Amino acid sequence: MMDVIQQLREQAKKLLEEKKVDLVIGFGQGTELARTTPVFIDSPEGVSKLTWGPFCANNLAKYLTDYKNAPGNIAVVVKGCDSRSINRLLDDNQISRDKVVIIGVPCSGQLEWQKVSAEIKPGASLKEVVDNGDSVSVKTDAGDYKFDKKDYLLHRCLVCENPNPVVSDLTIGKEQPVKNYEDRFAEVQALEQMSTEEKNAYWDKQFSRCLRCYACRNVCSVCTCQTCVFDQMLPMWVSKRTNLSENTAFHLTRAFHVAGRCVDCGECDRVCPMDIPLRKLNQKIHKDLGDLFESPTPGTKPGLVSPLGEFSPGDPEEFM
Amino acid sequence: MESRVVNKGQISELLDKLAKDYNLIAPIKEETMTLFRRVSGAQDVLLDYNNSDISPKGCFLPQNEKTFSYMYTGDTLEINKPEGVQKTVLFGARPCDIKAILTFDPVFEGVKFGDEYYSNKRKSTVIIGLSCSKVLSTCFCYAMGGGPCDGTGSDLLLTEIGDKYYVEVNTEKGKALVDAYSQIFSSQGAEQLAKDKEELAKKLSGEFVRKVDLTGVKEVLDGNFELPYWDGDNAKKCIGCGTCTYVCPTCHCFDIFDYPTGDFTGDRLRCWDSCMFPEYTLEAGGHNPRPTRKERIRNRFMHKIKYHLDRYNMVGCVGCGRCVNKCPVNIDITKIINDLKEVAQNV
Amino acid sequence: MLKRLLEYVGFEPGRFQARWISGSEGAKFTTTIKDMTEKIKSLGPNKKMRDDIL
Repeated sequence: MMDVIQQLREQAKKLLEEKKVDLVIGFGQGTELARTTPVFIDSPEGVSKLTWGPFCANNLAKYLTDYKNAPGNIAVVVKGCDSRSINRLLDDNQISRDKVVIIGVPCSGQLEWQKVSAEIKPGASLKEVVDNGDSVSVKTDAGDYKFDKKDYLLHRCLVCENPNPVVSDLTIGKEQPVKNYEDRFAEVQALEQMSTEEKNAYWDKQFSRCLRCYACRNVCSVCTCQTCVFDQMLPMWVSKRTNLSENTAFHLTRAFHVAGRCVDCGECDRVCPMDIPLRKLNQKIHKDLGDLFESPTPGTKPGLVSPLGEFSPGDPEEFM
Repeated sequence: MESRVVNKGQISELLDKLAKDYNLIAPIKEETMTLFRRVSGAQDVLLDYNNSDISPKGCFLPQNEKTFSYMYTGDTLEINKPEGVQKTVLFGARPCDIKAILTFDPVFEGVKFGDEYYSNKRKSTVIIGLSCSKVLSTCFCYAMGGGPCDGTGSDLLLTEIGDKYYVEVNTEKGKALVDAYSQIFSSQGAEQLAKDKEELAKKLSGEFVRKVDLTGVKEVLDGNFELPYWDGDNAKKCIGCGTCTYVCPTCHCFDIFDYPTGDFTGDRLRCWDSCMFPEYTLEAGGHNPRPTRKERIRNRFMHKIKYHLDRYNMVGCVGCGRCVNKCPVNIDITKIINDLKEVAQNV
Repeated sequence: MLKRLLEYVGFEPGRFQARWISGSEGAKFTTTIKDMTEKIKSLGPNKKMRDDIL
């Protein structure tokens, strides 16, 4: 992993020195050992802030739309899943390809930092991280730790469609094999099997916890509306009250608004402070899109048209 | 100050009694979350937890609150306020969260303006605190004037020691409660436990790993509203969600609006609001004095470490570490404080 | 898609229905509405997303 970090810094430095880009968005060490934070680097000296490893959960493609109208070019570090966002943003005309330099890094799964942190002696500092395939070794000044991926991976990483970026200008690190620890739609299927009452009880419980902090919406790389319907005051489509009815309206609208565009990066699920399994809503849509329209995961290829955005005579016609 | 002892075996009995006599709010486990909820007895109450995911501030400032309902009949306007508040016991609040309630008091019970919705709840609630038994990597209450076994603000403070709870009676309210359940609260062995508690407090205070020091930070902010620091990475990486403000035990901003239930009837509600949202400061004419995330972030952190001090001589942060833990992009108030100290060197 | 999502979160099957009826299909319109009314009546009042105050 050290050589990936080294190469990453070299390439970023080169891009900035040669003035190919004005800004590099990447991962930097966070304030916890097992955590990274987005960093924005605008000078060659700053590249030493860049890091890489199994604690780079954020989808940095999100930030590209912030610089949509800014002058200059931007380089962004993306994992496989994040790179699907790039394709999607390109297809939505949210960013222009010639303004973005995509630094792709093949990824072998991201760990849940809270779980890892709980195991490591507080205050320890990181020495090295080594990927052993099915586990990750974390070496610190307070001892070495080993984390089995099947127990410590972020939930979304247990199934990974694209460990390697699907679009990139330069790739750093060696290609990673596809590795799945469970069946992609197992949880959705389990929910589908439940009775109406059980489904209702399950989701009511989840939605009633919602604080409406909108982290799920704000972190979403394909939520690109200038003004969101939930921020509108006049008319107030959904009020500020946080009750089950309004929360359900919010979550269904959010999930359905990204139907056919959601790239399944799982960020909504990760950031929810109340642990609402938001991805189970999006995954249901992914599953149905696959079943009904044989549609691949959005963003896996450039130029994919969402089945909900076009008409084909072969479409299923359940409503005729 | 008086003190008492409760055997661990009797804590369920106490909780059951409290649930019967009061509206009992206590920490519970809901799936992966630790939350404060109303409980009907000891069976749901979680006694062994680090800190709740959301603070119990909702006991005094609920996320949604009906202030009154209105009905216009054509020539008269009828206003109905909700019925009086119930006697409540808030059980198991951690010292940092209790300290946070103290930061609410001058805001809602100020000399000039009192808030009856808040003060009614505050008056009728007995706070039973629970000392921490563990320091988390995100904790830094010591730097904000608190401590893992600090009973300030609580009516009773329980500290777990061996198979007993050491109980400090801090107020008259607490005394009344102890007297009402005198068969559970004994005074036997309290002296020894008081010493044990001191030991525990000392041990825990040595376990903090976050180095935070507020000295000089307010001073640099006092004369420097426009620090280039605020243009930095924090403003760039913030995604503008309300997580930090909603999980924060000291954030108390709210919005008031009418919710019509008919043409001439409706409710006036008060709901939590967040200064991280763009609409928070959006004016009717379309102007927004805090147009970008830079201004909004600056406001939030200035409020914590300057404005609250200016107004009430209290730090607006209690060091619970929730925002540090939950921020999706790892914006960390302890880092900001340390960065500002560095900035202070060069101003 | 929406129908499936609604049923997934606990709406009863048939609570939400969508039909394509052209302006010239009067008979289809009548029977569809009749069927829909019958179905909804048999399901009873909707309990999900009721707007209870607070």
